[in-house]
Amino acid sequence: MKNSPDKKDKKQEKVKTFKGAGLRSQNIPQPGHAQHKWRNIRWAILLFFNFLFFASFFFDIQILEGSLSGSRLLGFHLIDPLVALQVILSSQIIMVNLIIGVVTIILIYLMFGGRSFCAWICPYHWLAELGEEIHQILKKKKIIKNHIFDRKIRYYFYGLFLLLALITGYIVFETINPVAIISRFIVYGPSLMLLWVMALLIFEILFSRRAWCRYFCPVGVSYQLIGLLAPLRIKWDKENCSNCKRCQSVCLVPHVLNDSVNQGTSDFVNASDCTRCGLCVDICDDEALSYGVKYLDKLI
Amino acid sequence: MADKQSQTNISRRTFLKTSTLVVAGSAIAFGAVSVPLLRKERLLLRPPGALDEDIFLASCIKCGQCLQVCPPQVIKLAGIGQGFGIGTPYIIPREGACILCSGLPCVLACPTGALAHELSLGKDAEMGLAVISNPDTCLSIRGVNDLVYRLENFQKKKTSSADQTELKDILASLIKRLTEDEKRAWQNRFSLTELSDKTLLTILKQLENSDLKWIINFVGSSSQAQKACQICLDECPIKDEKTIVFVPRTHADTGQDYVWPSVRKTCVGCGVCEEKCPTAVASITITPRLKWSEKQAGNQPRTNKQA
Repeated sequence: MKNSPDKKDKKQEKVKTFKGAGLRSQNIPQPGHAQHKWRNIRWAILLFFNFLFFASFFFDIQILEGSLSGSRLLGFHLIDPLVALQVILSSQIIMVNLIIGVVTIILIYLMFGGRSFCAWICPYHWLAELGEEIHQILKKKKIIKNHIFDRKIRYYFYGLFLLLALITGYIVFETINPVAIISRFIVYGPSLMLLWVMALLIFEILFSRRAWCRYFCPVGVSYQLIGLLAPLRIKWDKENCSNCKRCQSVCLVPHVLNDSVNQGTSDFVNASDCTRCGLCVDICDDEALSYGVKYLDKLI
Repeated sequence: MADKQSQTNISRRTFLKTSTLVVAGSAIAFGAVSVPLLRKERLLLRPPGALDEDIFLASCIKCGQCLQVCPPQVIKLAGIGQGFGIGTPYIIPREGACILCSGLPCVLACPTGALAHELSLGKDAEMGLAVISNPDTCLSIRGVNDLVYRLENFQKKKTSSADQTELKDILASLIKRLTEDEKRAWQNRFSLTELSDKTLLTILKQLENSDLKWIINFVGSSSQAQKACQICLDECPIKDEKTIVFVPRTHADTGQDYVWPSVRKTCVGCGVCEEKCPTAVASITITPRLKWSEKQAGNQPRTNKQA
């Protein structure tokens, strides 16, 4: 009994005296801050590209032919890096077109920031975002609880699927890859594997927030590796930050903001799992977060 | 937000839950390997140029680009029901066969070489081999003319006007085989000045049951049209060499003479014969991946793939 008020005090004290690395003492909403600006732009781009896949086949306009595993943009091959890696491991053949496609994709995502694929292109990410909203509502009403796991298991699954590709000589992951399943659904029509995707979504909504993207998806891991080098990053402005931490509450991978918002050791979000989705930019009405290009000052 | 005590609790719980997730995830991964393996024996007819099945499955990324460029749009993507290789391309020849179009766009579209780029001509493809799988129904073995067969069938089930396309199809192929004299007989019968695809429609409009009988009798007596069915050879896209030779044979037990459609080495297994076969169930079917040498040994449709 004696402990509990103490605890409460400590808690309150903590909130009161909490000082992050940001220099602003209180949250000052900036005039003209649009709440869903980047999300709307991002969803428009995501839906546009997925529609382009659909329209290229359905209306035969042939701009972006194929699906997210492999496609041709105006005749140029594009291939998902994870698929390519699996094919090379499983078939032990290296095809010129395969290499051309992967190198093009790597160059594109080096320009636009590694895991931006997830937030800006991946159709599963979009569905999961909608599921996440339902999850948050249910959680608020205390109908469900969020279960958190160790995010590092993604690397275990990444290794496991690559190993399976090598051992079995078959690109195992593509059987259950929800990204490819949805992409094929968009272009070629429904298949029974959509049930698996629905099961995943239900798991995310009822049990663990954004579980696939956070803890499993090897596709994301391969783009993450590109993201290690991609200079397009979220920029943190120390002067404007009031340490409200709302950015971390909306983030798919909140730990990426630790370096900047929590510890103040970096002006950029350097962790490679950042999807550059811009949700933190949208929520931050202090305008402490924005898109930026790292190393740009050195270049100029 | 949480104090230290509960934080350590959370991380311990997180660790336990994470290990459960690792186990569950691994189970799903191994499931993804083994579930399709259960039906590995059932071979699908792959598009032209497909590598050997094992290496094909290893290199196909299921992007579906072959499907997109296919001019007759016959390539489908396998679902979970087709077993091994979800999302890989295959063809159901009875529903629409590969016509071995020039340039083989599906092969050119393949980004990984699962459809090997070495293949440039349709006649060099090795998709499978045609096999007379139902000799009992085969019209050429029975010595039945295909048009007579189709007309009789049509007469039996003729109730709705939806069948008109079928009849038009039959008449169109019939007219192609008529001699000049026979064409004149037709023109008299239906009072037409010429016989072409356009006038077919006028024939169809005024066609009665008695006319149908007349046509059947006509085909039966016509020298050109009454030959036994050779649709499989007529429709075969490989034109320079005969893929099917009709060999006269005598039945060992009954001593009856018949004609056996013998599939030759030039067959690539495109499946056009299976698609066009007029019998209710195709009498000639494609056995995917069957090679000529293997067929010589057994001369039977292969059911299981020998590892």
